[in-house]
Amino acid sequence: MTLLADKQVPAPAARSRQRRSWRELLQPRYITLAVAALVVAYLALVPIGTMLYASLRSEFLGTTPGTWTFQHYADTFSAPGFGQLVLNSFLYAGATAVVCTVFGFGLAWLVVRTNTPAKGFARIAALVPLIVPGILNTVAWSLLLSPQRGPVNVLLRQGHLPIFNVYSLVGMVFVQSMHVIPVAYLMGTAAFTSMDSSLEEAALASGSSPVRTFRSITLRMARPAILSAILLMFIQTISTFEVPQLIGVPAHHYVFVSRIYSALQNFPPDYGTVGVLGVFVLVVACAGLLLAQRLGRASAVQTITGKGFRAQPQDLGRWRWAGLAAFLLFFLVAVALPIAMLIWSSLLPGYEQPSLSALRHLTFSNFEEIVRRPGLAQSVKNSLITAFASGFIVTVLTAFIAYITVKTKIRGRGLLDGLATVPIAVPSVVMGVGVLYWYLAAPLPVHLYGSLSILIVAFVTITLPYGMRYLAPGMSQIKDELEEAATASGASWLQAFWRVFIPLLMPSLLAAFLYTVIVSFREISAAIFLYTSGTEVVSVQVYDLYSNGSYPVVAALGVVMVVFLSVLAGAVRLISRRFGIKSG
Amino acid sequence: MIKLTGLTKRYPGRSVTANAVDGIDLEIPEGKLVTLLGPSGCGKTTTLRLIAGLERADRGVIEIGGQVVSDPEHRIFVGTHRRPIGIVFQSYAIWPHMTVIDNVMFPLRVNRPRPKKSAARETAMQALDLVGLADFAERPAPAQSGGQQQRVALARALVREPKVLLLDEPLSNLDKGLRGRMRDEIRAVQQRLGITTVFVTHDQDEALAVSDEVVVMNGGHVIEQGLPQAIYTYPQDMFTARFLGVSNSLDGVVDSVGPDGATVTLGSRSMVCRQSGTAQPGERVSVFMRPESFRLSRRQHSEDAWPGTIEFSIYHGDCWDYHVRLDDDLLKVRVYQEKVGLAHGDSIFLEPDPDSAIVISGDKQEAEQTPEEASPADAVARTR
Ligand SMILES: Nc1ncnc2c1ncn2[C@@H]1O[C@H](COP(=O)(O)OP(=O)(O)OP(=O)(O)O)[C@@H](O)[C@H]1O
Ligand SMILES: [Mg+2]
Repeated sequence: MTLLADKQVPAPAARSRQRRSWRELLQPRYITLAVAALVVAYLALVPIGTMLYASLRSEFLGTTPGTWTFQHYADTFSAPGFGQLVLNSFLYAGATAVVCTVFGFGLAWLVVRTNTPAKGFARIAALVPLIVPGILNTVAWSLLLSPQRGPVNVLLRQGHLPIFNVYSLVGMVFVQSMHVIPVAYLMGTAAFTSMDSSLEEAALASGSSPVRTFRSITLRMARPAILSAILLMFIQTISTFEVPQLIGVPAHHYVFVSRIYSALQNFPPDYGTVGVLGVFVLVVACAGLLLAQRLGRASAVQTITGKGFRAQPQDLGRWRWAGLAAFLLFFLVAVALPIAMLIWSSLLPGYEQPSLSALRHLTFSNFEEIVRRPGLAQSVKNSLITAFASGFIVTVLTAFIAYITVKTKIRGRGLLDGLATVPIAVPSVVMGVGVLYWYLAAPLPVHLYGSLSILIVAFVTITLPYGMRYLAPGMSQIKDELEEAATASGASWLQAFWRVFIPLLMPSLLAAFLYTVIVSFREISAAIFLYTSGTEVVSVQVYDLYSNGSYPVVAALGVVMVVFLSVLAGAVRLISRRFGIKSG
Repeated sequence: MIKLTGLTKRYPGRSVTANAVDGIDLEIPEGKLVTLLGPSGCGKTTTLRLIAGLERADRGVIEIGGQVVSDPEHRIFVGTHRRPIGIVFQSYAIWPHMTVIDNVMFPLRVNRPRPKKSAARETAMQALDLVGLADFAERPAPAQSGGQQQRVALARALVREPKVLLLDEPLSNLDKGLRGRMRDEIRAVQQRLGITTVFVTHDQDEALAVSDEVVVMNGGHVIEQGLPQAIYTYPQDMFTARFLGVSNSLDGVVDSVGPDGATVTLGSRSMVCRQSGTAQPGERVSVFMRPESFRLSRRQHSEDAWPGTIEFSIYHGDCWDYHVRLDDDLLKVRVYQEKVGLAHGDSIFLEPDPDSAIVISGDKQEAEQTPEEASPADAVARTR
């Protein structure tokens, strides 16, 4: 790509250099960079900016012109219950983060560093957050653990044991943990895999007991990774919608997300307060992310890998069966139980306890219902359209950005890379609110609000970093020489690009595409603010139906979602394995 | 003293015939430095890890200082942390979250009797002094260069005065100049402390330079064990001969044995070998000769010289390497102090040195495959 390749032009005199630098800026490669940067900046920054603006104006979307003010901040922070809200949110997210990290890293340690025979389970467990969306996890667990009719509680009551009421803070933490533990597990796997086991062996050979070694070497070495995992779990938990709304609200345990949602449901919506809360969550998330990155960098400095690196599993002796039992239990609880519950409920006309007599009522009518009910079929169609459109747009856009940031040496490419990763720090709820505000307020010629496009815009922004995660490493794997060899064999630049570069990049492109489709398809935390009647997506429909009590249809819809997502996730895995893609 | 008897280890998932360590019997005398020498994958590291208790043996007994530390038959296994050892890994395994002195103090602080912190510090400083790192005590460990890290690892291994020091290719991460210095340093420290040491390496120069005894291994077996000079000059086994760079071998039959050594007929030629061991007349033998142990000249000086032609030549600065064709055989000959080289096709005469010829019974076809990869020169020689 000669257009974008960096050519050092020697500048003889200061004066002409200045003039040239202006001309340089008008070269196509800078224009390309500028366009890409503008698009990404528009996507990533404008919604946040609008939300910030709304929080600082006395009037937003009103008929009268407003003024600049801190009134919303003062009102929100001094409102009775704000302290409680912060406390609730931090308690919920903090407890979840700690629980997830402890279990996730524990399981990762068992799989990576010991001879626990659980590798197969581990691989499946790691896929679960991809194929069971948070909203389905929440629905399944509130069915399983509902105080009166949930089968788990029925069993507990039969055994004269105290029941587990899911509608409580503990219930919220539990349900969210079931969804997030696999993510923590993946982080733990990465941390433990990169640790040289001779560090532990050196301690053993120094006479330190296995327990002491675990404490003063293993745990100490993993500490930055553990802390940063806690922070990331915290951010993810504080910014998602489903558990706080479906479990927290009935439990009267309000957190930021549920408060934001209810404030927008009121009439007239309290845009100012929502803006303030959104900014607050955004600040918390950014601070957490920055801290996590600092920790990550510190741990990168700490890993010195020399020759002779080996990650030797530790022999647990008979204890490895205990490890396997832990894994089986986790698998059963976090994976098998919710999915089994969804399948069971989807096959019955009305909810019934699992029993042999209920088997007589098994039916596929709920699945027929999905096809028959106009709203349902429409939502499936909407989801497919938005997910695939977002996947396509993100793949093309990030391919462009990754090319500029990885393959060229244009000045300013670091800025572009930074912009493209901004959405990581923006909780999806905040992104949803921001996009909503911008398209409600913006003096644009076309109105996106009320159409599927607004959902696509939000999904594209949210999944931008995921696309980068696949494409940037994918591109840096393709050595420049391969393209140059094609050019040297007489191919024109375009031929080289199409016949060498693109085919080599294809697996990464495909993986990025499918992965963004998956993420968009499951998304609810932003979509819940952006849908209107007629533009519901499946995840929103699940929430709606569940709120109306149509459990069997919800379950059927859930099963369809899980099957669809499993196929996509399987494809991503296959491609990644087959072509050895490393995702960052 | 370390004693291994019938030691066998197979890694899980490997086929039954692929023992990483396959019935090793070995005695390592008190206070000596013994190297395990052998090609990559021959089981050196595994043997070392078995001694350390980082791997569990399938069969066989390990004794350290008279105490049985591993004997699967009698369900005896003493954990690594209870064995009186110090170990230096190839990667050094310096704990990056500690300073240099904390690394060295760690073994003292986790063992009983537990010395006071100040006493532990003192001992650690002495160990650092021993390896010449006393000035670096307070630095963070990862900020050390490769050579410094290696010395920290050595100090850490020595600090609690273990009975046995285990070194797994401790020099392979260093550049060439440093390697020689550190090698001599390790040897000096070992001799000063008189500590029983097992040194793993695949570099023969390293092995010859530091050891009291060399143990040559291949395919999980001990091939032979002996003094470095004995192993080098008169290897008892073809594998050892090849591994130590004795590249020429000729097959023949012992003609007669006299007071001057054995006369061996090698095809149409014959030579006298002074060191013929137990060779008997009529026995089939292989005669191994180093490239240096020939006299090469343009004229025939003696009856014993063999006529040949130069196949090709390589100039090394201080010496020439010639590939000399003698009928069907191709010999490598190294000649020092020659200004003008010979060229392809020149006729010459080769006179083998009867003192340095190595006679090994049996045919070379029976010997295990040569461990060395063919050198580029060989490849060229073959294509010519
Ligand atoms: N953790 C392991 N799992 C399975 N096989 C192993 C493992 N470690 C070593 N092996 C195998 O056992 C054999 C001996 O390995 P070992 O590491 O002892 O060789 P080595 O002599 O130290 O070689 P090198 O000089 O390359 O370090 C090799 O065939 C190796 O592939
Ligand atoms: Mg080794």
